[in-house]
Amino acid sequence: MLYARELRSALRERNIVVNSILLPVFLYPILLWLIYTGISFVGGQTEGFSSRVVLKGLPAQHSILKADLERDKQIELKDSANPTADIRDGKIDLLAEFTPAQGLAASLPGNFHVQLTYDGSKDRSSIARGRLTEKIRRYSDVYLDAEAKKLGLSSAQLQQYWIEGRNMATSRQMGQFILGLMLPMFLIIMLSVGCMYPAIDSTAGEREKSTWETLMTVATSRRNIVIAKYLYVATMATAAAILNLSAMVFSMKAILAPLLGARGEGFTFQIPLRSIPLILLVTVLLALFIAAGMMILASFARTFKEGQGMVSPLYIATIVPVMFLQVPGLELTPTLALVPIVNVAMVFREAVAGIYRWPLIGITIAVELFCVALSLWLATVILRYEDFMLGTYGGSFGKFLKERLLARKAPLGGERK
Amino acid sequence: MNEPVVVRNLAKTFYDEARGEVRAVQGIDFECRAGEIFGLLGANGAGKTTTLRMLSTILTPTSGSAEILGYDVVADPAAVRKSLGFYSASTALYPRLTARETIEFFARINQYPGEKVRERVDYLIERFGIAQYANARVDKLSTGMKQKVSIARTVAHDPPLLIFDEPTVGLDVLNALEMQEVIKEFRAHGKTIVFSTHIMSEAEKLCDRIAIIHDGKILACNTLENLRRVTGVHYLEDIFVNYVRGQG
Repeated sequence: MLYARELRSALRERNIVVNSILLPVFLYPILLWLIYTGISFVGGQTEGFSSRVVLKGLPAQHSILKADLERDKQIELKDSANPTADIRDGKIDLLAEFTPAQGLAASLPGNFHVQLTYDGSKDRSSIARGRLTEKIRRYSDVYLDAEAKKLGLSSAQLQQYWIEGRNMATSRQMGQFILGLMLPMFLIIMLSVGCMYPAIDSTAGEREKSTWETLMTVATSRRNIVIAKYLYVATMATAAAILNLSAMVFSMKAILAPLLGARGEGFTFQIPLRSIPLILLVTVLLALFIAAGMMILASFARTFKEGQGMVSPLYIATIVPVMFLQVPGLELTPTLALVPIVNVAMVFREAVAGIYRWPLIGITIAVELFCVALSLWLATVILRYEDFMLGTYGGSFGKFLKERLLARKAPLGGERK
Repeated sequence: MNEPVVVRNLAKTFYDEARGEVRAVQGIDFECRAGEIFGLLGANGAGKTTTLRMLSTILTPTSGSAEILGYDVVADPAAVRKSLGFYSASTALYPRLTARETIEFFARINQYPGEKVRERVDYLIERFGIAQYANARVDKLSTGMKQKVSIARTVAHDPPLLIFDEPTVGLDVLNALEMQEVIKEFRAHGKTIVFSTHIMSEAEKLCDRIAIIHDGKILACNTLENLRRVTGVHYLEDIFVNYVRGQG
């Protein structure tokens, strides 16, 4: 009976119907489209760069392979006096060393063994490995078919050369690479979760408990009340994010090592100490931005339940960018530095790996500060409306935006102090 | 000398989606004298709560002015709030604070001298007989206890002016009587009290002067004796009806 009463009252509340039923129905197709578009966009970004490859010892009779590699726009053949050092420094992505085949495989004239040297902690290097492996495998199929036909054999009988991979990344670099993939995702999720309930409780929750009016009678300005609430929500969000991240870093090895098997046992999951101030800075900025957004939305609600309905779309919207971060080869670019939330996650990801692109970090910080300032300006404008402050306004943020802010309707009762 | 509360041509207009423009208060004038209980008597929707909310700076007047102890409610709202205590059925307490924490919080935020806060909190706990529950969370208290804590938080900073907006709404007879006693006691301690009600007997018992408010306008403002003399009827209920029907 109680359940039915709850359900009935919820279904009679327009905001809940819109946010909990209509939005999900229409939101998910839109979200899927956005994700697809985002992945295509990000995929396009990774396809845009070429893999810098050094070939060493390629037999002259396999010049077709070299010509094929030269034609490929995604592969750029380079010369290097010290390829392993250049891979470490990021100047080249991969060294392909061709050596004569040994044993039975040597009986086929011109047959060879290939060793691909790359840095597994660098996405570009791993992608180069994938591209070269694919090219060489394709060439080998054609080559072996042709040789087998000459000898009257099947190509399988001639499959005597192998591609061998050698990962140059240290266990520490691999640990940082994995942390960089996982931690930004958890940063955003934990921060949003940590922000959501305090944001609702300090706004809609106060109205529901009838403490809002009590607070309006205390001897301080409205602005101070709002700032105090805002800082409380941002603090809770930051604390939730930092505590969860710290716990994750410390427990990562215990969680990941069994999953990675023998490979994972040697990994060192450690964030460079010099990255910590930058990580804290971007986390605080993100918390300030998400806290402002969630509080603006939640403050239109009169009950906690309504607040949840109003904040959920923003919660989903903050988590969607996380999905793009799992695309291999994604680096912080000037374009990505302009995208709020994604830029912070990318700075975070690179800081974990000890990579600092200061101009792009600067853009990221500027973008986040702009978003925080924009949110606070919006909050200030909304707070001038008395019915909003008193909780008697019955609409959502969208309605308010359309009917009051965009229509430039002046607040009744004048500006609050 | 200026009276503690001076209201001149005060008006408030709301915009309501269903009703359009609503003129809740239409240019009212009154003054409250120091140390008196001034009653705003009116039916539901007469404009009592809107008037008291403007005096306590929760709402901004559309026009007119109101001064509380010399501070303008629009120009200096923080000073006004520091000078008064506001109590209504819709001003609830934080459920997760204890009674003591609640009183202390409101004393401090309303700028009661820091060094005297502890002494003041102890006094109020003793005065309202809540010592046994002082460290219990508010959500664990009975309705009667919550009411006492709520009054204590209203006067936590010892303001010279107290505003009670229908303070006995929702209370049982005993708690309502206790509330009336507390209000009388505050007057005895020299506080000025503005009090709204729609219960005639309450206004008769408590108020030194009564303003009859209807449709956002004050129809009469006088002592009970003078209202009786002017209307020629004895009971406040009849006086009230006389004015409201007379206006109609």
